[in-house]
Amino acid sequence: MKQLKWFASSFMGLMLVSCVTINIYFPAAAAEEAADKIIEEVWQPETQVKETEQQSFNNIVHVNFAVAALNWIVSPAQAAAPNLNINSPAINSLQAKMKKRFASLKAYYSNGAIGLTENGFVAIRDNKAIPLKSRNSVKALVKNENNDRNELYAEIARVNGHPEWKADIQATFARRWISKAASGWWYQSAGSWKQK
Amino acid sequence: MLTRFLFSFSILLFLTVANASGNIKLSIGQWSFEDIQAQNLQFDIKLTAKGLALTAKADSLILAKPIGQVTHFSLQCDELILLAETFSCGQGTVSFRQADLGQQKLSFKVKGEPEKSKYRIKLAGLTLASASFSATLYLDKKYWRLVTQTPKLQITEFIKVASPYLQEQQREALESWQVEGNINLSADIAGRNNEISTLMVDMATTSLNVTDSESRYVTENVILGLDFSAKNNKQNWQWQTELTVDRGQAYGEPIFVDFDVTPVSLFAKGLWQQTKGDLEISTAKFHQKGVVQVFADFKGSFEKVEQLNVQIEKSNIARLYENWLQPFVLGTAVDSLNLAGSAALNYHQSADNYHVSLDLQNVFIKDELNRFSVDEVNGSVGWTNYDHQMNSSLGWEKAIMYAVQIGQSQFQAQTVSSSLTLTQPWDIPVFDGKLKINKLNLHRPGEQGAEWFFDGRLTPISMEQVSEALGWPLLHGKLSGVIPKVSYSDKHIKVDGALTVKLFEGTTVITDLKLAQPFGSLPQLYANVDLKNMNLSTLSETFDFGDISGRLEGKIRDLRLANWRPVQFDAHFATPKNDKSRHRISQKAINNLSKVGGGVGAALQRSFLRFFEDFSYKRLGLSCKLHNEVCEMSGVGEAENGYYIVKGGGLPPRINVVGYTRQVDWSELIDRLKAVSNSSEPIVIE
Repeated sequence: MKQLKWFASSFMGLMLVSCVTINIYFPAAAAEEAADKIIEEVWQPETQVKETEQQSFNNIVHVNFAVAALNWIVSPAQAAAPNLNINSPAINSLQAKMKKRFASLKAYYSNGAIGLTENGFVAIRDNKAIPLKSRNSVKALVKNENNDRNELYAEIARVNGHPEWKADIQATFARRWISKAASGWWYQSAGSWKQK
Repeated sequence: MLTRFLFSFSILLFLTVANASGNIKLSIGQWSFEDIQAQNLQFDIKLTAKGLALTAKADSLILAKPIGQVTHFSLQCDELILLAETFSCGQGTVSFRQADLGQQKLSFKVKGEPEKSKYRIKLAGLTLASASFSATLYLDKKYWRLVTQTPKLQITEFIKVASPYLQEQQREALESWQVEGNINLSADIAGRNNEISTLMVDMATTSLNVTDSESRYVTENVILGLDFSAKNNKQNWQWQTELTVDRGQAYGEPIFVDFDVTPVSLFAKGLWQQTKGDLEISTAKFHQKGVVQVFADFKGSFEKVEQLNVQIEKSNIARLYENWLQPFVLGTAVDSLNLAGSAALNYHQSADNYHVSLDLQNVFIKDELNRFSVDEVNGSVGWTNYDHQMNSSLGWEKAIMYAVQIGQSQFQAQTVSSSLTLTQPWDIPVFDGKLKINKLNLHRPGEQGAEWFFDGRLTPISMEQVSEALGWPLLHGKLSGVIPKVSYSDKHIKVDGALTVKLFEGTTVITDLKLAQPFGSLPQLYANVDLKNMNLSTLSETFDFGDISGRLEGKIRDLRLANWRPVQFDAHFATPKNDKSRHRISQKAINNLSKVGGGVGAALQRSFLRFFEDFSYKRLGLSCKLHNEVCEMSGVGEAENGYYIVKGGGLPPRINVVGYTRQVDWSELIDRLKAVSNSSEPIVIE
């Protein structure tokens, strides 16, 4: 009986701790939504392909599970619609720069010269697909794109008051860039390049 | 390899001739002489009008390596002349089959003086790597000379033929490259016994295409000419080479050269001590047409540098940057510059110590993204990791950094052991004031990025100029400051101390100023600001807000600007608690304040209060905590369902302005403020 009491009180204690930590829970669903918004703006209709059924299913499961867990631990009022703000002048300016740059990068996504990396960046995949003369300009485009992406992930985290979310935001973006990539584009998966 | 083959071949020929005296038919089942073994050797010698006609055949011959076994051997000479001490064959053919060389049919001429060990052998038609070789071999006792010419040697085929004779490592390295193209090759090699004494190689390519497996080093349609000569004196090689490339393109990460536009030539000579492995380049001259001319010399080995001098002659800095600097700085703040002027560089290295000096003449620098520009840079900068002093003296006529205008300036400094310090205070005119730098230290520890700090003083700058440059409403006042330390490390600029701005008769103090990646993709500025004792009359007049008399104080905490726009702060502005000055606020100001606070305004127009020009107030104030693009607003006290922006007091008529909206979209607030400052009439909210 004593043991049961101890167990129950420890469990309650743990739950209390859980309640505290839930307040800084990374809003995964909101982050995905935010990422999608930015990606669609940067890439425009070019890449708005339908997601595979498998991915949609995973998202539903993921979101439902997260919401269910939240509802169970804290009241729905507190947990309702965790939001991620992406509407700041800094984010808008990064987004505009990336959108403008995409006009130059598009051809290189399509011919496989560059691809999307697992960590939310762009990398040169196949030098041979870039004419010698354009090698350095493509390298510059990729470097600047990555600088902007890095700042974008950091700024979204900062604007939302949680600089420590940068890694989570970056991971979310990494998944969404790949998921939204047009057919024929290349992306990294488990360290190797794959084509959509 | 070829030499040895020809040598073996001549011995064979000699033996053949030596044994052929008279009209003889000879068959030998198995025969060997020194390194040569033959099976089913047959001689047929006939007497003809021109001399002797010799035919020799063998099913199989084993010659010295690397030729090894030869089958279907057949040799024919129709003009064999044998005299007392000489023999010659004016015209002959030899054919055979060998594993690597395949089926071969060669024509030859031979003249020999066996007693004196003197021979001359001319060969033509040896097919190797789809090319036809011709060669002449002279033998004189222990001296020999080989002159060979090969037009259109296919490199791919040549590598195939040569690869069995290469070491495993060399072969693997070669296999990762794709090479296409033809070479015209001529060589003149002379030697003694098995040592080369002189070597001359002339080579020219026709459309050379080379690429490594990752395509990081590529040439496309390159036409190059290479002359190389070397003289061996007891394994000390005096060498000289000249290379010209005038067609095609090449990319060697990260440098791209279009030889059609900027042909390249290289001349170098020196000494290679084979036994010690020491290399000396006494002179090297590299020239890229219209871009750069470089002179260099070197002492050391392939592994280490004993001494190196490089001198880049005065060159057009724009071409130099575009071809040789920009590729290395991609993705940094200096990767998109427009340049004009000229630069020269001197580099000297002795073991691990180096010093470098860069001279600039009439240089104009302009960032394509309009973040900065510098005009008319002249002078030289020296840098060294030595324990001896290098002087720098550099100046410019004017510069712009974002909107900050910088005037003519000159700095004098010295560098010792990777550390640069000023030799005299450095004044940098900023607008109409001056940044006086007393102490500056720039340090580059090891391979890490540069770190610098300086301390100085900012003499008063007119806010009129600052506000005009920044596109603000015209502000009157002065900006000045004592800066105990400005430091840069890890892409962050940190300003210790405080900047003081005398504005609206009060004082604004900026502290904890920090700049992250000032020229990066998203510059970030952090600061805390305190405003004291500002005259509201001057302030409201400046912003055309409507007259307000009284004093104002405020603070802005945790200010963060991203890309120079505010994204976060906690700001409070209010009448100082013990302010004894006159507190009056005009109708226009009331309306504007109401508008900013999102509160009343129209009520005033409709009520009897519209007959009063101004009102007395006790306190006024507004706070905004900006976070997440939303401004959390409050005032100088809580009112019913709202907060006081203006709290009435003193002599009547009094007025209260109450704000009811607690959360205002930041962009909306900015729009409201803009609307206020743009309107000359009170805003009426219906």
